[in-house]
Parts: sequence; structure tokens; C-alpha cells
Amino acid sequence: MKVSLRWLRDYVDIDISPIDLADRLTMAGLEVDAVEEYTPAFTGVVTARILSMKPHPGADKLHLLEVSTGEQVLPIVCGARNMKAGDVVALATVGAAIPGGYSIKSSKIRGEASEGMLCSEDELGIGPDASGILILPADTPLGVNLIDVLELRDTVLDIGITPNRADCLSIIGIAREVAVLCGKKLRYPKIAFKESSEDIRSLTSVEIMDPDFCPRYTARMIKGVRILPSPKWMRLRLEAVGLRAINNVVDVTNFVMMELGQPLHAFDFRFLDEGRIVVRRSREGEPFVSLDGKTRNLNAETLMICDGRKPVAIAGIMGGENSEVKEDTDTVLLESAYFNPSTIRRGARFLGMGTDAAFRFERGIDPEGVVRALDRAAQLIADLSGGTVSKGHIDTYPGKVDVSGPITLRMKRVEEILGTEVKAAEAAAILKGLGMNVKKEGRGVLSVIPPTFRVDLWREIDLIEEIARIHGYDRIPVTIPPIPAPGDIHDRKREFESAVRAALNGQGIMEVLNYSFISPQSADALALPESDERRRFVRIANPLTEDQAVMRSTLLYGLLETMRRNVNAGSPDLKLFELGKIFIARGEGEQPREVDKLALLLTGSRYGENWHFQGLATDFYDLKGALENLASCLRLAALRFVPDTTIPYLHPGRAARVLIGDREIGSLGEVHPDVIGRMDLRNRAFVLEIETEPLMGRADTAIRYREYSRFPTMIRDVAFLVPMEVDADRMLSLVRETGEELLETVDVFDVYSGKGIPEGMKSLGLRFTYRSPSRTLTDDETGQVHGRMVKRIVESTGARIRGES
Amino acid sequence: MREQLEKLQRDAEEELRGALTDEAIQVIRTKYLGRKGVLTSILRGLGSVAPEERPAMGQLANQVKDALSLRIDSVLAGLAASKKDGKLLQERFDVTLPGRGGACGKLHPITLVTQEICGILASLGFSIVEGPEVELDYYNFEALNMAKDHPSRDMQATFYITENLLLRTHTSPVQVRVMEKQKPPVRVIAPGKVYRPDADISHSPMFHQIEGLYVDKRVTFGDLKGTLTFFLKHVFGDDIGVRFRPSFFPFTEPSAEVDIRCVMCSGKGCRVCGQSGWLEILGSGMVDPEVFKAVGYDSEEYTGFAFGLGVERIAMLRYGISDIRLFTENDRRFLEQF
Repeated sequence: MKVSLRWLRDYVDIDISPIDLADRLTMAGLEVDAVEEYTPAFTGVVTARILSMKPHPGADKLHLLEVSTGEQVLPIVCGARNMKAGDVVALATVGAAIPGGYSIKSSKIRGEASEGMLCSEDELGIGPDASGILILPADTPLGVNLIDVLELRDTVLDIGITPNRADCLSIIGIAREVAVLCGKKLRYPKIAFKESSEDIRSLTSVEIMDPDFCPRYTARMIKGVRILPSPKWMRLRLEAVGLRAINNVVDVTNFVMMELGQPLHAFDFRFLDEGRIVVRRSREGEPFVSLDGKTRNLNAETLMICDGRKPVAIAGIMGGENSEVKEDTDTVLLESAYFNPSTIRRGARFLGMGTDAAFRFERGIDPEGVVRALDRAAQLIADLSGGTVSKGHIDTYPGKVDVSGPITLRMKRVEEILGTEVKAAEAAAILKGLGMNVKKEGRGVLSVIPPTFRVDLWREIDLIEEIARIHGYDRIPVTIPPIPAPGDIHDRKREFESAVRAALNGQGIMEVLNYSFISPQSADALALPESDERRRFVRIANPLTEDQAVMRSTLLYGLLETMRRNVNAGSPDLKLFELGKIFIARGEGEQPREVDKLALLLTGSRYGENWHFQGLATDFYDLKGALENLASCLRLAALRFVPDTTIPYLHPGRAARVLIGDREIGSLGEVHPDVIGRMDLRNRAFVLEIETEPLMGRADTAIRYREYSRFPTMIRDVAFLVPMEVDADRMLSLVRETGEELLETVDVFDVYSGKGIPEGMKSLGLRFTYRSPSRTLTDDETGQVHGRMVKRIVESTGARIRGES
Repeated sequence: MREQLEKLQRDAEEELRGALTDEAIQVIRTKYLGRKGVLTSILRGLGSVAPEERPAMGQLANQVKDALSLRIDSVLAGLAASKKDGKLLQERFDVTLPGRGGACGKLHPITLVTQEICGILASLGFSIVEGPEVELDYYNFEALNMAKDHPSRDMQATFYITENLLLRTHTSPVQVRVMEKQKPPVRVIAPGKVYRPDADISHSPMFHQIEGLYVDKRVTFGDLKGTLTFFLKHVFGDDIGVRFRPSFFPFTEPSAEVDIRCVMCSGKGCRVCGQSGWLEILGSGMVDPEVFKAVGYDSEEYTGFAFGLGVERIAMLRYGISDIRLFTENDRRFLEQF
């Protein structure tokens, strides 16, 4: 909220600088976001009186004037017509600067000397009036800087008001805080005006059909108003706080709303059918044209102000076009009411109308301040428009507004919460300063009744906060709570994730972080079948863009998008991983399944383009190796890889499911060329996505050292000729299954097909390493065992032996 | 004869200095020390030397021979050594070429900052808990004293799934879930992703928060100040200025915004801190009795404080990042720098 210090000073004396004031308010919970100084863009303009005025001898449209600044008399040539001798005017003296970069010089105009210029509002940039020069009140002192005379200098504080402080949405509310913080007295505006003998009750009536939505409605009538622009002081105040001046009636309603926090509305009485007010709910779908000229379709929950026949305003939100104050308005019906905060909030949200009035009503206004604001506005309208206030006011108060009763405040509790003692006397002084009624109830116990404008104070804790913020948070001593002996110092999940990150970083793989929401198109991009659970999207009702409309059901889409952005940005060589959740919808309104996943993406050249490796592209085995290394780093039992031709987004010949034990945890492979094409990825890519939770419990963390053999090995290499489709894993399994004690390891040392190998066949070289823990093996002994191994492979797979050593 | 022997020695030395190959040296050896060499021919004249001088001359001849022999061996060895060095030098590598092997992987800056913060808080006895990201309205708002139709909901614009299901707007619902399951004392932090429909240079629709909660008997606002001051000094350095300023959160009372002295201008006022000299760094407060009521804690017996901080905000200050969108753009040139 913008707060003009010029306006604020009407209610409280301020003898500290604006910066200090801003600091005190901020440290009391009224955060000042900005302090802005407003100074008019002119200098050297003073007040002066016109002593004489006669026509210019050489020009019909000009006048020759003599003006006095009190100290000297100057000749001025002036083209305006709205002045006369005796008027006090704004004189830009020689050397003055006025907006637009003009500076005033001593000059001769059509042969007559002119030692300055008389200015209009418009020329000085202080108002819209360009029709003539600015005429000041006749009793204005002469020779005084115009900026001081008109109080044109101002400082505006922009204060962020938290939703609980409805009472601070007014200048008087801020003034109240300033008074407490600076030890000053708050001055309420004096309200006094004359009433006519005609009683308002004989002129109109108010009927409330829905007291829950509108507990209280008050009204006054002002007759014989003349609609004019508001005077300068009013316009300056409204403009300083960001409101546009309109006319002397509408401006008063806005002024009082800003001054006291009570939104008001003025109706042109002649447009009210049957001359009365009825407060009721609207009908579903009823159209209504609001003040801003827009047609609103109401719902059955919207509260309306109506006359005898039709709606004339959306209660608490905005008036209607059909009853607004116009240039020829004569009689004004002034409304000051208390509306239910939830009613106004729902209505404003439904209609999408966040007006200043709604903002205040939905936060809660002072139910007992309604009449005061009504009277204040009546006073000002009568003053500014020359109208007459009818006798009395209508106060229809059928509803009930909850206000806080006495709250018991225990000083012991204050200390328990704050950790420091505040003396009862100080607490009482703070609370009284904030307008509360404070009584001593017993030793260290106060009974406190908050004022009705403090709609946020109901409980003891609310009062403790008030005491703390005025006492000063900075005065509460710092303590460190005792640190408990740790229970379980191991955070398994955190340690697991750190280990995963370290293992992947060690392999040159970089962590990325993608949005949790993705495009629903992702399912089609990845060619997921209808039955795939990754199509069971959690859909956001109000997404920012359609590209971010569903929660991700896979990490891969985000990784592929990241790849595309990087490839387009000239970084084609990527090794990326992401740890994060995916979301699978369950029943309507039910929380989805959230699953922790790990995904990897490799693309481009294996080591980047450099002088060592040229054109060495990343491939499937880099990806698989990365996962195997990860498993090894995490001390996981061996992962199993089962070829799978049916993973929709992976190349059918280069994809596998990943299992740990019997549990399937995900898949890996080369991205399907169709996906590469659809997502415009340009290059081949290799991806894996696995669930991480199943890995967590499976690390072999109980490390037991095993004695190793000190005897030499016997190594036998065999090249088998096998059909292409016989996978290495099958051959190795055959050997391992034997459980032969002397066989230490068996590894693939060569895979070859092509020249010299029959079509459809490949040569698979296996290296058998034999060793005994207790003796040096002999050739014979080794030969016997090895013979059995080879025979087993040959018999089971039909492999031929191509060579042996 | 003495002169002859001395000359031989000088001549041989002279010739050796000019000899650069094994062959040339062998030629010198033969020429002077060989069976038909110079020394032999000098010694033939031994007969004409006076008999009393003969033993001395013989001795001298042997000395010359040994010395020369040693000298030749050493020249030969030197030559061999320098030949070997030369060969190794020819095998020279350009040691200024870059080494082999891929670059080291990097952690995302959000991970780095999260790990650091969790580490500091863990040292204060906080343990880490998690909660769902797709949350019920009840946990995200209602149990935190934010009833439907309450203006405090304006503070947090929300992504909705259905009327009662939403993307959590803060990590605070984890507080409620923890307290529902566990009796005090409770001392937990909950890091995680949160979501709000806002996107510009300083707002991301997805960002990260770390929530802290400490509930026990006799926990005070002073403890809150002490804990958070300790924490901020660890993150931003011992000299950092910290202030606690009254504010409003529906689920804490009293509530405090915590500011640090602007790390960019040291409090003089700059663009980053909006000329105020202070940076808002976290929100905190004493747990509101309404929240305790929702989880069945007795607020007369227990008190507690809660706080929440934005990881991106701290990462941006720490690393001098001015656009929050960089975190999710994942450009390699960004990621490589951490």
C-alpha cells in the first residue's frame, strides 16, 4: 500500500526522517518496500499578486501586468484571460526552470518588457488545468516558493501489508502504528457537519434479505450536490497513493476508504427505483453492467445491492453503471456497510475482480467503524459539493459480527514463548498503545480486549506476537537449544543418493535438474502404448503452458529435451543423469504414486572431440558399463540384463531390461530412431531409467576379507565359432553353472565376425583362468578340468572350436 | 726416452679429444697401445738406456700405458652414455598436449547447496524427512491454519490437480505429516521440490525449499534466533549481519522474516537488495497453536519453531546467478561450472 507522508502527518506528528520511519515500520512487521521522494519538476516559482492589468498595446491577445512578490514589482506580459488585478498567482521568475526544459529569461514581447511568466497547473506539471493560469487563494502569502505553499513535496512509502493486518489498509491505521512506535499521539479527523431537518428515514429505506452475507448496512443522503473536480489538496492526496481523481463525490468515497479503511459507495439517488435499497443474493446467470462498463454474469452466491427492482451494485466489489454519480447528479445516497469477508472473497474470485474495496472487505473491516466513515464522507461531500446532509442515518444491523472478547494474557507464557521476560507494565503499555483495553487480572496476568478494528487478535499467542514486535525482535536474546545425542546417524537414502551421485560423477556424468511437469505429448513422442502406466498422467488443472501440463511419468522425456537444447546450442557430447520423482495417477482425487528414479543419457563422442580419440562415438556398452560401474561402486549384487525387443522408445535390437535378483527395475538401450526423429534430436542417444528404491537395501555393506591364493594361474584361451544369436551371457553361464572350484574367472576377451568367419556366425574368445588356493596346478590337472568346460559349451550350443591356446 | 713417453701421452690425449666415434677411439688405442703401436716401438729402445735408469723408465712406461688405457675406456663409456641419451631424446613427447580421459562429472548447483545446508542442520541434530510433492489441500493449507476462502491463500498461488489435490506450494506440509506420526521431541528438516504458477527471471514454477521444524518442551523464540543465526553464519560467513523482522505466516506466531546483510553491496544498497541493504533469506516463526491442534499436540506443554528457505535463492547469491531459469535449462556450459 502506498502511504503519503504528507497525508500521514494529518494524523500523527513525525519528527524522524522518512528512512528512519521506514526502518521502524519494517522492524515492526510493516515492511517498507520502497521510499520514494516526490518533488515537482520546477524551480524558481513564487507567489505574487497582480497589482494592475491592461491590454498590450501591440497585441490583442496579450496583457501587460504589474505583479508584486512583496519585495519587488515586475512587469509581465501574459496571454491568459482568467485573472484580474488582486489575484494571487504563480510567478516563474527570471532564472526559473519549468517542466519541458524551459528556463525563464528576461525578455521583450512585442516591444514590452517581461520579467517572468505566470504559469498554469499544466505548465508546472502539477495538474490537468491548462485553461488559464493558476489562481491561488487571496490570503496566500507573497514571495513564497510555490512548492511550499501547495505542499507539493511528498514522500511516499510503499508498504507490504501482510494478510492479517487488515487494520493497516488505511492511512489512519498506519498512523496508529507510527504513533505507537514513535511515542506520539494519534489525531482522528474531526467530524462535524450540519444536517437538514428532513429525516433520511422519510426519504429511503434499507432492507437486508441476507444478514449472514451482509450483517450491517448504513446510509446517509446528501441533497443538492454540485459535481465538480475536487480541490487541489484532495487530488494531491489521492494521486500520491495511486488513485485517480474523478469528481468531488467519488473522490470523497475513495479518500475516506484510504483514510479510515472503510470502502464506501455513492449512488445517484434518482436512478434507484422505488427510492430504496434491498440487499440480496443475485440470481444464477443474471447479467450486470459494472462501473467499468463490463457485463458480468453473476452466480447465485454473489451478494448484490439492489433498489426496489434491480441490482445497482455488486456488494463490496464494484458499483453499477446504472446508478453511478454523473455530472448532473443532485442527490447522493451514501453507503457504508459491513459485508461478510468470505462472501466478498468468493464473489471477487468468481468475477475475477480484485478491487480496492473487495481487498479490504475480504480481509475484514472494523464493524464498529462503519458509521464513523459514513459521517466522515457525508461531511466531506457536503463541504466540497455544497450539498446538504439529510437528518440522521440509516443503520440496519440484523447480523452479527464476531469480535474478540477478553483474552487472558499470562506473562509467564510470554516468557515461555519468547525466551525472555517482558515486564507486565511494558506489555500493558504496548497493548494500550495499540488501542486495546487492558486490565490487571491477577499477579502476572492481564485481561485484554482488542479493539474491533484488530480482526486478527483472538488468542493469547496473538497478543504475545504484538508484544514481541513492538518490544523489538532484536531485543530478544539469542540462545542455542541443546543438541540431542544423535539417534541413528545414518540417513540411508541420503547416503545412497550421495553414493550414486559420486559414482556417476566419477565416470564423467553430469547431474541435471528438469521440471517435474512435462508435455502430455511426451507419451506419443515416446510411442508409449495405450496400456502403459506412464500414460496415467497426473494432470495440472491450471498449467502455465500446455508443455508443462502433466507431471512427468518418466525422467527420460526431460533428459531428451535437455539433450535437444544442448545439441542445438552446440554441445552434442553429453553424459547426463537425473535423480528425481515420477508420478503415476491413481484414482480420481487420490494422491498419485511417486517413485524415485535414476535416468542416464549418453550421446555424442565418448571423450569429447580431441586429439586422442577422433570420431569415437559413445555406444550401448558405455551406457551399460556406466551402470555396471555404478552397481560395483554401490557394492550391489550383479545386475542382470535381459534383451527386450518391445520397449517402445528403444531400438528393438539394442535394448534390455535391467533386473536385480528377480526384481525388474528398469531398462536401458539405444533410443529408437523414430523417437530421435520425432523429437528432432539429430544424434543417436543411449538412455536408461531405473527405480532406485530396490537398490537401496541390496548393497553388500558387510565387508569380509577373503584370503587370496598365492599360487600361480593357468590360463587357457579358446575361440568358439557360434551362431550370431548365441549371446555371450549364455556361454558364460554354462561355464559358471558348473561351480568348478579351480576355475577362478572366465571372461570374454574377443568378439569377432567378418572376414574369415562364415556368414551368420561370430567368433567369441573366452579366457579361462584356473588356480588352486593350495597348490600349483599341473598341466594335466588343468587340461582335464578345462576339457570338461569346453565340452560343455560345445555340446550345449553347437559351438565349434576355432582355435585354442 | 722420457721425452718420447711424455710426447706419446700428449699426442694421444690430443687425438682423443678429436675422436667422436667408437671406431676412431679404437684406432687411437691400436695406434698407441697396440702390439705394433707407438708404445711398443718406444720400449724397443729400452736397450739403449743406461741400465741404472731402466727400472725407472719401465715404470714410467707402465704408468703412461695404464693412464692412457683408463682414459680411453672412460671416453668410450661417455660416448656410449650420450648415445643412449640421444636415442631417448628422440623418443620425446609433446608434454603440453592435453591429457586423456573424459571430464569429471559435476553435481547440479541445487544439489550442492542442498547438501551443504542439510549438512549444517544435521550437525545441529536435525534429521531429514520427505513428503509427497502432489499433496492434499488439507496438508498444504488447512492443517497449516489456511482455511479455504482465507486471504492468506493469496500469498501462495497454487497449481491444482483437483479441488483437493495440488502441487505442494511449500515444504511445510511435511511438518504436519511428521507431527501426525511422531510425538515430540521432533527435530527434522524436509528438503524438496515445491511448485507455484509463476515464471520470470526470479520466479520458477518449480523450485526447492528446505523446511525445518523443532518441537519440544521449552523451545523459545530465542532458540529460533540462535539456531538460524548459527546456520546463516555457516552458510554466508561469520561476519554476515542477520536481522529478524516481524511478519506473517498463517502457521507460525510470532512469525519472523530473516534478512541478511546484502552480500553484493555489504549493506550499502544495490539493485540486488532493492537499495535496502538487506536480503530476505528465510521465513520462520513459532509454530502456531492451531497447527499443534491439528496434529493433536498440547500447545501448553510443547512449543516449537519452524522455518523455510529457498535453495535457489541461496544458490543465486552464492554463485552470482541472476536468472533462476538457468537452473532448469541444463545448458552444459552452465552445469560445467559447479
